[in-house]
Amino acid sequence: MIKMLKIDKLKFSYNNREILKKIDLYLEEREFVGIIGPNGSGKTTLLKNISRILSPDSGVIYLNQKLLNSYDIGELARFMAVVPQDTAVNYNFTVYDLIMMGRNPYQDRWGRVKKEDKEIVEEVMELTDTVEFRDKRINELSGGERQRVIIARALAQKPRVLLLDEPTASLDINYQREIFDLLASLNKDLDLTVIVVSHDLNLSSQYCSKLVLLKDGKIFKVGKPEEVLTARNIKEVYHTEVVVKNNPLTGRPFIIMVPKVQVGVNSRKQDAAQTVYQKRIHVICGGGTGKKIINLLYNQGYIISCGVLNQGDADWEVAKKLGLKVAEIPPFVHIDRESLKYNRQLINCSDLVIVTDTPFGPGNLPNIALLTEIDDINIVLIEGKGIKDRDYTGGEAEKYWNKLVLKKYTHVIETTDKAFEFINKLASP
Amino acid sequence: MKRESRFWARLLQIGRIFDIHLEYRIMVISMEFSKRNLYLFIGLVTGLIIVVLLSLSIGTAYIPANQIIKSLFGKRGGDGTYTVIIKQIRLPRIILSFLVGSGLAIAGVIFQGIIRNPMVDPYVVGISAGAGTGVTIAIVFNLGFSFLGISTIPLMAFLGAIITVYIVYNLARVGHKFPVMTFLLAGVAMGFLLNAIMSFLMVLGTNDLHKVVYWLMGSLATASWYEVKLVLPYYFLGLIPIVLYLKDLNLILLGEENAQYLGVNVERVKLILIIAATLITAAVVSVSGIIGFIGLIIPHIARMLIGPDHRKLLPLAALLGGIFLLISDDLARSLIPPLEVPVGIITALAGGPYFIYLLRKKKSEYW
Repeated sequence: MIKMLKIDKLKFSYNNREILKKIDLYLEEREFVGIIGPNGSGKTTLLKNISRILSPDSGVIYLNQKLLNSYDIGELARFMAVVPQDTAVNYNFTVYDLIMMGRNPYQDRWGRVKKEDKEIVEEVMELTDTVEFRDKRINELSGGERQRVIIARALAQKPRVLLLDEPTASLDINYQREIFDLLASLNKDLDLTVIVVSHDLNLSSQYCSKLVLLKDGKIFKVGKPEEVLTARNIKEVYHTEVVVKNNPLTGRPFIIMVPKVQVGVNSRKQDAAQTVYQKRIHVICGGGTGKKIINLLYNQGYIISCGVLNQGDADWEVAKKLGLKVAEIPPFVHIDRESLKYNRQLINCSDLVIVTDTPFGPGNLPNIALLTEIDDINIVLIEGKGIKDRDYTGGEAEKYWNKLVLKKYTHVIETTDKAFEFINKLASP
Repeated sequence: MKRESRFWARLLQIGRIFDIHLEYRIMVISMEFSKRNLYLFIGLVTGLIIVVLLSLSIGTAYIPANQIIKSLFGKRGGDGTYTVIIKQIRLPRIILSFLVGSGLAIAGVIFQGIIRNPMVDPYVVGISAGAGTGVTIAIVFNLGFSFLGISTIPLMAFLGAIITVYIVYNLARVGHKFPVMTFLLAGVAMGFLLNAIMSFLMVLGTNDLHKVVYWLMGSLATASWYEVKLVLPYYFLGLIPIVLYLKDLNLILLGEENAQYLGVNVERVKLILIIAATLITAAVVSVSGIIGFIGLIIPHIARMLIGPDHRKLLPLAALLGGIFLLISDDLARSLIPPLEVPVGIITALAGGPYFIYLLRKKKSEYW
């Protein structure tokens, strides 16, 4: 693989404030690189150093094994194109004229348009799907359309490296996907090395082959998205709680933000919870009694399973929506052997089982009956409502319940909130 | 069919003189638009010829058309007096008018383009104040009206303008970069300072006040072949680099960063264009005084007519500026004969309302 970009001990300061502190970075040809990091971490400054708008205080940059400073301006424009953060054009050029400006580094002093220039402009308009507004004025376009036009202009430079600064800032989600799809196809089909600065961790994670995570002007981590985007790294760089899931469609990490309000009660527990997010919890519930605890635990990052639940039950719906593993049976059907077997499996690989104060009838009785048979497992019984008031089996459920209460690792707790707090305490080392 | 295509080829050839972009415009974009541009230029050139003939004929003494032709092209010449009036008085004045008008318009286009601000005119960076100070010094201190065969007034105006812009440029430079907004502000600040000095000098030399004021109002009354010869070399010295860097100026309109991404050596282009535009403005100011509004308004009118592409904008603005000053000067010397109204007053009186009309009519953003 060819080293497309090599940055060696790059330092840059602005008004005596060090923005970039000794950046070392190697990027290879045909990579799709995302530069991420919090506001003020130096993302854009790094990009401007690479695009030679800013010149470093010390350190060197090699582009395609040649010193960046030794390129002349036209040569650099033929090799590397930049899509800046602000794509607003003050003067009302037509789209075609604007894209044609991308041919500038290939034209003579008069800007005479050659046949080749026209062909290339047609080609990049085709690629970026901007043919339809070729005659429109640039200010008549929407933000997403204008972004595509500016990318087309960059492509008309026939570059081998494409730099983009926040190409999806202030765009709707459909445009975000559109722009990144376009970049991905350019990267794949045209063998373009794409380097994109982005705020959006999830977008970069889904599309980039390599991520560069900056923190305070230093490189915090470089690697594949799954190596860089861990909850621990994000916590350290962004000082914020997140849960990292796997996007089943791309296999890439997907970040879910944890709202502070919801975890308000035990915000002081956040740090501890962070380290135990992989703990598994099985919830035995029904009739909507488990909704709240499932949501709370899920947001905290625990791996949750449920069962056995009737399909269509309020708790079943929540579990399905969150994509949890659920032992399930059709509506109004008694728990059968098969579902019970699966439920046992789920319980066996859990660290903790929660039983909510759900009513028990003959249909779901096997749930607690099964639990009494399993030894040495942490059980949390939520008893907001006494078992007597929700036993519709003529005393049988009560019998099992009391058995559970007497077990060695059982904790009886009155409310869901307290149970949640207790579980977090239990889970912290 | 064949005949028609030959006609188009010929039209294109003519068009190319003004509009290098025309060919691909016609092929690719739309025929309407470029035909419109072509007609615009043909119309303006025709207009220019008519205005020149009119200017030759009107004035304190009316000269009929046949006499004009006889004086200019006749082998034995026409009536002696007419020939003198035409060849020694009106023709140099017309040429000078056109040079001054087009020069100010060209400088306006360049400064507005580089600074990317619609409020900019050629005087904004302190040229007018510098030239005015130079002239005030010459008049108040009575430095004589001839020095080594050169009249001191234009010389002092030229020197004042060039020195001022040099100072402003050095004030605005940060390392090897040259931020245009600082340039603009430094120019405005320098202008205030010089205006204060000028006022102070005028208080000192109250006797010559009217001369200074008259010069500041702008006039072409002193025009002769001498002034034409004075302006011409600087005019073309400035025009050549401007014509060479028009495409780069288009790209600078997108912002300096963008222009650099597209392969323009922004700092160099800015420096060259500023020097060139300053040279033209200083030369023009030195012979005409301060004629306002042309450098501000004509670029705007041209931009409304033809769009922001400098390769078309510049020739159009030059033509419009020249014609506009010619007409204004005709009015200046024929409104209340034998008195001459300073032409700066006419340009401001005519230009201001017309500009307001255009602004109201075309409310969509053209800038």
